[in-house]
Amino acid sequence: MSSTTKSSPQRANLLQGTLDMLILRTLLYGPAHGHQIGKRIQQTTNDFLQMQHGSLYPALHRLERRGWVISKWEMAPDRNREFKYYRLTEKGKKQLVVEESQWKQMAEAVARVMWPATEES
Amino acid sequence: MKWWQIKKRNADLERELCSDLELEEEEQRERGVPAEQARSAARRTFGNPTLIREQTHEAWGWAPFERFWQDIRYALRQLKRSPGFTLTSILILALGIGAVTAIFSLIDTALLKMLPVQNPEQLVEFKNINPDFPVDDVFSYPTFKILQHQTPALAGALAFRKPRNIDIEIDGHSGLAKGQLVSGNYFSLLGVRAIHGRTILPDDESLPGQNSIAVIGYEYWKTRFAFAPDIVGKHILLNNVPFTIVGVTAPEFYGLQPGERVDVSVPLSMIGSVDPVYAAAGTPADTLKAPFRNWLHVIGRLQDGVSRERATSILRPIFTQAMREAAASLAGLPVDSPSIRQSYLHSRLQLDPGSQGLASLRRQFSKPLWIIMAVVALLLLITCANVANLLLARANAREKEIAIRFALGGGKGRLIRQLLTENLLLALGGGAIGVGLAYWGTGSLLALMTQGRNPISLNARVDFTVLAFAFGLSLLTALIFGTIPAWRATIVDPSHGLAQNRTQGGGAGAHSRLGRSIVVLQIALSLVLVVGAGLLTRTLANLRSFSPGFNQENVLLFSVNPSIIGYKDVVPLYEQILNRIRVIPGVHLATLSVREPLSTSASSTPVRVQGPSVPHGEDLASVAIELAGPDYFRTMEIPLLRGRDFSWNDRDGTPKVAVVNESMARHYFGDANPIGRFISIPGYRGDSSWIQIVGEVQDIKVHDLREPATLMLYQPMFQAPEGGATFEMRTSLDAAYAQTSALEAVKAINGRLPVYAVKTLSSQLDDSLIQERLVASLSELFGMLALLLTCVGLYGLLAYNVNRRTGEIGIRMALGAERARIARMILRETLLLVACGLALGLPGAVFASHLIASQLFALKPVDPVTFSGACLVMTAVAITASYLPARRAASIDPMQALRTE
Repeated sequence: MSSTTKSSPQRANLLQGTLDMLILRTLLYGPAHGHQIGKRIQQTTNDFLQMQHGSLYPALHRLERRGWVISKWEMAPDRNREFKYYRLTEKGKKQLVVEESQWKQMAEAVARVMWPATEES
Repeated sequence: MKWWQIKKRNADLERELCSDLELEEEEQRERGVPAEQARSAARRTFGNPTLIREQTHEAWGWAPFERFWQDIRYALRQLKRSPGFTLTSILILALGIGAVTAIFSLIDTALLKMLPVQNPEQLVEFKNINPDFPVDDVFSYPTFKILQHQTPALAGALAFRKPRNIDIEIDGHSGLAKGQLVSGNYFSLLGVRAIHGRTILPDDESLPGQNSIAVIGYEYWKTRFAFAPDIVGKHILLNNVPFTIVGVTAPEFYGLQPGERVDVSVPLSMIGSVDPVYAAAGTPADTLKAPFRNWLHVIGRLQDGVSRERATSILRPIFTQAMREAAASLAGLPVDSPSIRQSYLHSRLQLDPGSQGLASLRRQFSKPLWIIMAVVALLLLITCANVANLLLARANAREKEIAIRFALGGGKGRLIRQLLTENLLLALGGGAIGVGLAYWGTGSLLALMTQGRNPISLNARVDFTVLAFAFGLSLLTALIFGTIPAWRATIVDPSHGLAQNRTQGGGAGAHSRLGRSIVVLQIALSLVLVVGAGLLTRTLANLRSFSPGFNQENVLLFSVNPSIIGYKDVVPLYEQILNRIRVIPGVHLATLSVREPLSTSASSTPVRVQGPSVPHGEDLASVAIELAGPDYFRTMEIPLLRGRDFSWNDRDGTPKVAVVNESMARHYFGDANPIGRFISIPGYRGDSSWIQIVGEVQDIKVHDLREPATLMLYQPMFQAPEGGATFEMRTSLDAAYAQTSALEAVKAINGRLPVYAVKTLSSQLDDSLIQERLVASLSELFGMLALLLTCVGLYGLLAYNVNRRTGEIGIRMALGAERARIARMILRETLLLVACGLALGLPGAVFASHLIASQLFALKPVDPVTFSGACLVMTAVAITASYLPARRAASIDPMQALRTE
């Protein structure tokens, strides 16, 4: 919709569609709430992928609507408050496998175009 | 997740966002950020919560719906904030939408609706196309019987005789009703059921004279019997013949002729009982046996999978064969002649779509109804233009609001959608009130239509089709009036829009340019309407002042039908009535004729002339026959050109005489004197004896004022009487008083004799103009409305412009412009608009007037009087509209104007 927020050059915008995969992958470690998921993706990539909450929450709700994750309000172990925890479902796990293999194919295809010599040797 | 759980879902999201935001804040604090800054820092990393909320809503999948709902709520709030604007727009739109919907519901009922029977689309109307016959839709009973059983083409066919007045006596009280004769399979083939008792069945057609059963219509059961529960088995007299009611038909079924309501149906095998004179049972012309007596309408139901074309090609040779037999059956009859035989052989069968019943109402009313539809459509466009202009002015006032919304990040598409939603609500509001107006309007229109000489009972009501139409029309209207203003309103530069003072600035100029174009368009459309209304009104005036050939003033008419209460010899009765009414004080002359003046067309018959006549080859010129009583021409004041009027001595037993009209005399005798010549009319009642011409009279209009001159032959009523007659009294008495005296006179002779169609001749003439009156008065009404709306639109634009230019006008005045000059400036602007509008409208008006050329009388489509009159009216209206704004402009105080600047 609006393109007013610009990302700094060092930080890549998430490719359309990959966010779902990243969230699913992050949830493989165990249930997490929205803030944690964002933080985790950010930390794992050494802040290269800057999470924007603007896309994180819609994505979470979209995944829930498709039945790939379920959510529940639970007490956080470290803080004395309830958070909305997202948990991967069986369907979500299968989806992750599908998306992973698609991503791999895509990455290989891109690589073949970008570095043909490396591929031949 | 369902949409009605949206509240719960929203609360959940709110909680989630809050808790995560708090966590972020805590983390910021833990990282050592001061408490007061932690919150805003958290918000910065988190992003715009409203945006997140909205985007998450998108993910839920019914965002479009939610947005729409939001738009509606917001639009309602906006409309509530300016009730004056809202009310005006809705009322203006209601007017336009209501008018179109009312006319649509009439068109739907009269022209489009299918019969309420089973699979009406399978029905076909049989047509007997013949250049020699004026009537093209009737068949003989034997021909119907042959066609009925052509199973390769037809699943069946039914026949009926058109409903006509029938005397019905119930428990000793008699009255008139519309009765029709039907074939036994009439109801079963249509699939019309009885809600009480049974319908007429195929077996009921078998025994001529003995199937004395009748089925009545629902409406008649309601009005005449007040829903009497013991209706089945009730004994009644129809034309003095006992019948038994066996059932009541379903409420939705009115008969096969739209616009006409059937009260009673009896098997057609009973024709000999209910109409013995016409049936001629036992003679060679027996209606149930003679193949040359055409009297039945035939409707067929196509066999499954057989197209109309296919059925026609199967039935045509069979019909042609039947016509050959019909021609042969004339052998030995006095009617027989080569030319008449020829006319049967010329007949050709045609199948027309019959899903809507007989076509006569559609033929009669389709042109006027479509003209009125065009008129109201133009009116709707004008109302759209008005509302569009209101919207433009409002958009100007809302410039600031819209600029703010842009500045806050509102998308252009979203803003336009929001404005369109407001327009949609206006249109739907207008539509809702419009349907109410239409409901009321249709009622009054129907009341107008039912006044005529052929009262029309249409079952028009606001039903689903009409509601759907009104809804669709409202949507369309919203698009027409709303799109451009909505689009225009969003052309706002946020910084400019926020900064500007509303009395000056760039946007306003463009708005008023658009506004001016709309007003020009409005003037053009109104001109078309005013010209149309003018032409139709002048046509009506021309028709009214046109002489029908007789003097319609001070004549009272009433009709009797003694044969339906069993009179065999009607002449003595007629003489008695004449003698009674002639002596009523104040009645100057009285006579009678077989038909009401200016009613149905007379039936036409070929004529044979004795001695030399103008040769016409094989041409079978038909002559209309009227039966008239003594002093007929004197009473009607039809100028006698030669010879004499009919007298009391022209009766049975005296030599047969006739009076011809000018057209007939010229047709057969050229310039020679027709008096004393002999003619015969073999096709008429099978009597080929010679008749002497004793008079020649001027032509009169027989059916309506537009018809070309007809060849006419008058015969004395007392030499060849018929079962019914209309009496004409020339009197100086007050119409109501004359009426009572006449009715008393008839009652004194026979209290059971039904008297009907009591009216004055001038009202009869008015009735014959019912269509023209309807069209003219409606187009006048709508033309006025169009003028009013245009006037208001123009006024609005000018007032707005004056307001906007207050500063400029102030400067002009400060620099020495006189007040009159300022007023002239406004007037000049008005006249320029009018000139543009007229220039645009004139070609449209010329085009439109050619479209209605066939409806005009004694007028050229481009009638200079009407056209210049319409232009003058438009200019006058425009000047009126500009009066107040011009005065206001002239009264601007320069000091004050400059101070507000």
